[in-house]
Amino acid sequence: MSVQAATMTPARPKRRKRVDYLPYVLISPIGLLLLAITVYPAIEAVYLSMTNASLLRLAKAQFIGLRNFVRMTADPIFLDGLWRTLRWDVAVVGIELLIALPIALFLNMTFRYRGFVRAAVMVPYITPPAVVGLVFCFMFDGNYGVVNDILVRLGILDSYVAWLSDPTASFWVVVTAMVWYGQPLMALILLASLQTIPGELYEAAAVDGAGKLSQFWHITLPHIIPTILFLVLLRTIWMSNHIDMIFVMTTGGPGFSNYTEAVYSFQLTNEFEIGYASAVAVVLAIILMTCSAFYVRHLAKNVLAGSSS
Amino acid sequence: MSTPKRRNGWGTRNVLVAIGATAILVYSIGPFIWLFIASITPEATADFDTPYLSDRTVTYLPTDPSFANYYALFQNVPFELYFRNSAIIATGNMVLTLIVASLGAYGFVRFRFAGRSSFLVAMLVAYTIPSVVLLVPLLVIFRNVGLNNTHLGMILAEATHAAPFVLLLMINYFSTLPKELEEAAQVDGAGRIKTLWRIVIPLSLPGLVAGGLLAFIMSWNNFLFAFLLTSTTQVKTLPVIMRQFALGEPAVWGVSAAGALLSTLPVALIFLLFQRMLMSGLAAGAVKG
Repeated sequence: MSVQAATMTPARPKRRKRVDYLPYVLISPIGLLLLAITVYPAIEAVYLSMTNASLLRLAKAQFIGLRNFVRMTADPIFLDGLWRTLRWDVAVVGIELLIALPIALFLNMTFRYRGFVRAAVMVPYITPPAVVGLVFCFMFDGNYGVVNDILVRLGILDSYVAWLSDPTASFWVVVTAMVWYGQPLMALILLASLQTIPGELYEAAAVDGAGKLSQFWHITLPHIIPTILFLVLLRTIWMSNHIDMIFVMTTGGPGFSNYTEAVYSFQLTNEFEIGYASAVAVVLAIILMTCSAFYVRHLAKNVLAGSSS
Repeated sequence: MSTPKRRNGWGTRNVLVAIGATAILVYSIGPFIWLFIASITPEATADFDTPYLSDRTVTYLPTDPSFANYYALFQNVPFELYFRNSAIIATGNMVLTLIVASLGAYGFVRFRFAGRSSFLVAMLVAYTIPSVVLLVPLLVIFRNVGLNNTHLGMILAEATHAAPFVLLLMINYFSTLPKELEEAAQVDGAGRIKTLWRIVIPLSLPGLVAGGLLAFIMSWNNFLFAFLLTSTTQVKTLPVIMRQFALGEPAVWGVSAAGALLSTLPVALIFLLFQRMLMSGLAAGAVKG
């Protein structure tokens, strides 16, 4: 029995000669599952990206080398899509931060019913994105939307606006919906970061006569900057391959005005052009996975260090 | 809940806090209140055959509120079928994910073995493969092996995201458990599997509940895979129907609102009942390792 206990003790310099199979047995189910549902499909995607496969005549798919990638360089929808993706990322992540930070600072104060307010803040994040899309379509509807009604009553608008039929307006409506849905996660993680700031720092600053704004600038902000940068990176990656909200609310339209690269690839798939769709997706994935390499390294280091204690 | 600090000028502070809290509540809950009002406002004309047309006007307080829209929802849309499909797929995803992820997490946290860090990095890399890339090949592969339009296919597809997420969450959770208890059990003669079963699982219950429920919520809310991999009513899930509603089919907003509320109800209830566990789990699985 003491031999078994020894296997539990990590970082023993001398290992036993016999290989312990138990850890391999434990990790193999998830390993095999991920192999089957992510690694193998990803390889298949790379292969498909070099074919002219169509979902309608899959058996006749031909290997065409890099022709799909060459096609992209002259494809205005793809090229403009790079800019649309960037615009979407910056708008959503930027506004999320502008909304989440004040909420996190607010929740970091002590007041009655704080638990209740904090729970309410999280509600948008657990709502199905498709429901969020539906609700915002409803609220911004050109004929019976509540937003039009309120704006007209307040005298801001003269008449009802068909928000989702206008390229610019529809973009901002989808951003509004996306921000509403996504900001709670940012607020939650920022709040967790704020709560690790020692209270003595503020007390000392107050003794030294620093005002609230000065305290925020010199204590709070420097402390949470790493978390903010991390969240910006993470959300930017997520937003770059986000499809749900744009597709549910606008199907990418009007025209191609909301075609981010992810939406473009998805739409090509819906039009059965899966070879080219895969090529667009592969390019996007290469860019995003390069960005997330940093994130993976950080995670792996954390996990490997954290669990050896 | 902690009591407010009575400092100088706490009256002003309380007013400001009340204003802030109200603003946050209106922002976070407002759309649901509007949805609820819409769902109990009877339709002037309920036409389920003509899309894109509705006689609705903006009504803040319905004069004769009723649940007619909820009846209409079940009569005109196979709503209970979609609801059942969502429930089957989300539950299946929860069970599958929880089993494979917690076993794997335990292996990574409690054992040192050759290839440990390589396997871990490989799984994290698999986690970062964007679902955009997986959509097409999963569609093709599932067609070839007959998994398209099946509950099992949907469960597997949604595990691409949920399984690595819960793996991270459980690694994080197991790391916080003192291993002395496990060692004591083994000194007392319990085998390793028995230790896992008798000591680790009961101790990890909060983590397992959080991981399982988050997997359930993720799967319940998933739109992309559900949209692409299902084409028959028999496996379509609620988010797919929500998009149809958003397109104005049927253009009976009161009924759509009723459907949207009922689609959100299960996850909202789960969240409210387990919010503390879920909030720490969300942070752990998403960012911390």
